Amino acid sequence: MTEVSALWSFLWPACAAGLILTGIHAYLGLHVLARGVIFVDLALAQIAALGAAIATLAGHPPQGGAAYFYSLAFALGGAVLLAMTRLRRPRVPQEALIGVVYVMAAAVAVLVLDRAPEGAERVKGLLVGNILAVTPGEVASLAGLYGAIGVGHWLARRRFLDLSWGRLPAGPVARAWDAAFYASFAVVVTSSVRVAGVLLVFTYLVVPALVGALASEAIGRRLLVGWAVGTGATVVGLVGSVVADLPTGAAIVAAHGLGLAGALALRAALGSPGRHRASLVRAGWTTVAVVGLGLFAAAAVLMVFPGWNHVWLTALEARLPVVETAFLTPRERAAREETARTVARHDTEIARLAGVRDAVRLGDRRLDAEQQERLRQFLLSRQEIAAGDRFVLAHLRARARTRQRFLLGVPLAGLAGGAAWWASRRLAALPPVSDEVG
Amino acid sequence: MVTTTTDLRALVEAVGGDRVAVQSLLGGAQPPHVFQAKPAHLVALREADLVVRIGADHDAWLGPLLKQVGNPRLVPGRPGHVDTSRGIELLEPAPRTAKGAGHVHAFGNTHYWLDPAHARPMTAAIADGLSAVAPAEAAGFAARRDAFLARVEEGMRRWAAALAPYRGVRVVAVHDSFPYFAQRFGFVVAATVEREPGLAPPPAHLARLAQEMKRHGIRLVLTETWLPDELARRLAVTAGATVVKLPTSVGSSPESGDYVALFEEITARLVAALAAPGGPAAR
Repeated sequence: MTEVSALWSFLWPACAAGLILTGIHAYLGLHVLARGVIFVDLALAQIAALGAAIATLAGHPPQGGAAYFYSLAFALGGAVLLAMTRLRRPRVPQEALIGVVYVMAAAVAVLVLDRAPEGAERVKGLLVGNILAVTPGEVASLAGLYGAIGVGHWLARRRFLDLSWGRLPAGPVARAWDAAFYASFAVVVTSSVRVAGVLLVFTYLVVPALVGALASEAIGRRLLVGWAVGTGATVVGLVGSVVADLPTGAAIVAAHGLGLAGALALRAALGSPGRHRASLVRAGWTTVAVVGLGLFAAAAVLMVFPGWNHVWLTALEARLPVVETAFLTPRERAAREETARTVARHDTEIARLAGVRDAVRLGDRRLDAEQQERLRQFLLSRQEIAAGDRFVLAHLRARARTRQRFLLGVPLAGLAGGAAWWASRRLAALPPVSDEVG
Repeated sequence: MVTTTTDLRALVEAVGGDRVAVQSLLGGAQPPHVFQAKPAHLVALREADLVVRIGADHDAWLGPLLKQVGNPRLVPGRPGHVDTSRGIELLEPAPRTAKGAGHVHAFGNTHYWLDPAHARPMTAAIADGLSAVAPAEAAGFAARRDAFLARVEEGMRRWAAALAPYRGVRVVAVHDSFPYFAQRFGFVVAATVEREPGLAPPPAHLARLAQEMKRHGIRLVLTETWLPDELARRLAVTAGATVVKLPTSVGSSPESGDYVALFEEITARLVAALAAPGGPAAR
């Protein structure tokens, strides 16, 4: 119970930050999708990072207020630049210019940081982010800032929506609103990236809005779906990162990916009304074809490079040891069993000893210097023995692989390839679907 | 002369004095385990008579770099290739196949230059290397080394005295850089924030750590000038502790200009944090 409350006391700011980001980014994402400037977020974030890098060069601490205002000033400048590139009859796609801006900002940041090496870690941090590190104070200021921006957008929602959906005639008025949109966007991106990193911010911006667009035409409903998806993915990602011991930011990104995949699958399965059954059949055959092709490729790799680490096979063997033991001689099988038992025994022992060591370090247990040294040596020797035993297991697995190579590889390739071929034939025979995406 | 780190540069300068020109490949505040060579570095390595490295897997990137440059004087095993880790027993060795990735210190913890007593074996290796390259100067190198070691020893007495009131204080470190320093000056690194060196820690580990810190009254989180300190700050907020940012290499902060100044600075920052009201010493 104390474990849970300790976890929660550590996690709630990250959770709150994730929900706040969902709130503002799902909304801004709708605009970004409608405008077709998906990568504007990455470009602005990179410009903000460049600002932080220059602040570092000027001697400001990277976490301080000065660095934030440098970033903000740069991002605002970038926003103005991007607003100006939105031409009425574009000769080049705006997306291309955005890409160029992104690459240039990244390259200049590298050049700048070469003079201020302390910033190297900082820029890496800006990309990957560390949402776990967010403090309650930062959460509060994010909530205040985004609340204010949200209210501003709500008050001027007609203008902003007309603008993004191309209903506002071009001219100085449109340009001014465009600048206002990009400016608020720059503030949000700069502040979010500081907390969550470019990857996570991009995810929050695009994925919920995409799912919303898949679900409905209406702006309001899109927003509600987007918020639901973002909230769900945040919670799932956080819980997953705790349960499976994964880095939190990447887990939340992956959870968004799953959400999007689920939405796409759902949409394919439901299709448009009246075509229910046909879509289901199509989705079924597509799945068979894709899975079959994947398995065929895996079997082919097993046959050509038996020495590689075949993750799928290793995972299967962990669940079903018989997949491996069936390819071993009785003597090898006995050796494998024996070794696996010792490894398990040593692992328990190592965990126990490491626990004692940690308890000593923390002061829960007292050992004199000699006992500590003995503990250290003992732990080390156990680890070495366990490593040796693991080597034996790896060797036996390699033996099994040389036999699995064809005994398993050929039938699997035949079955999977056949299934994929058959499924693709059935797919080709299905009547074509008119693909009106709603 | 080329060294991989600024600490080694400082030691080579201490032994070689004005008879040598030294360049460090890494800057003082750069993450030590990765290195991106620029053309000037390659030229320096091509022309150098001596290369000095921390060794083990601390600066593993030097190996491929030397192969690329192909300077026959710097090949491992030649007198022009000095590995200062030889003759030092590394703490916390781990078996090669131990679980986990990150920048695993398979040979043991390589932050051994942070024990000033190691200046003796390290400068011995450096003096040997220098004397092999310039035999005529050997006596001068030996004399300068003795003078330098006297300075270090005098410093050690001073630092030990300054830290003596805090013997046995437990701290938490972000990156596992301080076992040698802690062992020398008698405090205990109770746990590290990075569970695998160089990898971001999972949330359950952080939460457990914060809880342990509260339970044991651990009030200090050590971080380093080259590390981003968000995580340390976040942990400190939850556990009611203070963050101390320490230089771990010569030149990683404005004050740590040479090897002795580095320890002056570490000691000063530690003492300031330990002596602060509400700090660990107030208990």
